[in-house]
Amino acid sequence: MSIIEPGTMIVSLLGFLISFWIVKRVAYQPLANMMEQRRKHIEDQIQSAERDRAEAERLLAEQRKLLEQTRNEVRDMLDQARVRADEQARQILEEARAEADRLIAEGRQLIERERAEAMAGAMETLSELAVELTTKLLRSRVNETTHREMVSEAEKHLEELVS
Amino acid sequence: MPKHPMLFADHWYRIDLVTVFWTLVVGALVAIVLGVVARRLDMRSPRGLQNVMEWGIEFTRSMSRDTMPSERGVNFVLPFAFVTLVYLFVANWLGLIVTIEFEPGRDIPALGMLEHVKYSLNNSPTENMNMTLGLAILVWLVSHGYGLRHPLRWLKQYKNPMAIIDEVTNPLTHGMRLFGNILAGEVLIEAILKMPMLFGWVPTGLPLLIIWLLYSMFVSTIQAYIFALLLTLYIGHKDFSVAHH
Repeated sequence: MSIIEPGTMIVSLLGFLISFWIVKRVAYQPLANMMEQRRKHIEDQIQSAERDRAEAERLLAEQRKLLEQTRNEVRDMLDQARVRADEQARQILEEARAEADRLIAEGRQLIERERAEAMAGAMETLSELAVELTTKLLRSRVNETTHREMVSEAEKHLEELVS
Repeated sequence: MPKHPMLFADHWYRIDLVTVFWTLVVGALVAIVLGVVARRLDMRSPRGLQNVMEWGIEFTRSMSRDTMPSERGVNFVLPFAFVTLVYLFVANWLGLIVTIEFEPGRDIPALGMLEHVKYSLNNSPTENMNMTLGLAILVWLVSHGYGLRHPLRWLKQYKNPMAIIDEVTNPLTHGMRLFGNILAGEVLIEAILKMPMLFGWVPTGLPLLIIWLLYSMFVSTIQAYIFALLLTLYIGHKDFSVAHH
């Protein structure tokens, strides 16, 4: 009898194949699937982390740019406001000065007019007084008509004198 | 060589019942243990045996990567190599755990057993040459089945006719190496167990037995690894999906 036993070989090989099939189905496949799933999961996580980081960096750059822009705008606005304020101040000052000048001129005019009026009043009184004095001196030689003529003549002369 | 009960003991197609029985038991053991682990898989926080299993798969994968030329080949061979590795690991250890002998009081012709002959009932299935050669032939068939996906390149490997010798020696040594190592281990265990006791009760063979058991455990582990490694190597040789060196 040889020690080669084809029967044993075939049957034990069948036994191994059945075992292999069962083990593969029951244990290996779920485990391999799980490991593959985990590999994918980790890959996804890494990818999404990288994506998120890029996104964050992009956002940060954007924010930075925006901030810089805003800062510039604010500076511009401040500069403009300062220029405008200076301009306004200057304008107000100018207006005030003009107003003051105008007021002074007006005052001067008023004084002038008052003075003229006062002068005129004084002249009238003076001429009347002169006429009255003359009348008193001349007394009866002058009647009502001559008196009026003399007054008007005196006024005319006085006016000539004043002007 | 340990004697085993046989089916059809007088015919050329006789079947070694111990080998077949333990072949199935090992398969069932591996399936149950790994199946229980696989039932409670946790993707986020693996614990306990799951880690061991994952380590085993990663170990097999890196082993396959070293010997296979293409990643597709690795994926093809991975389940075969992994299951074979685990299976052989358990199978090789099996004969070391316990030795059961049975001596029938009378002839049992149906199982080919004779009166007052000691029959070993527990041996590693890999201790049988036929079983290991069967595995080696299976590997050989799978490797050629895989190689024939590229028939022209497959044919081209025989440009050098010496390659034909490989086709005989590879599976032969592949199977015989495993069988020889395991058989030697178990035969010697049996021999040590038969050592006479000093004064009828001092087990003189015990220290020797312990040393030999430890060594056999080592050999069993290494042989399981070597068989799986050569499996990936032989299938890798027939992977023609990339141009060969």
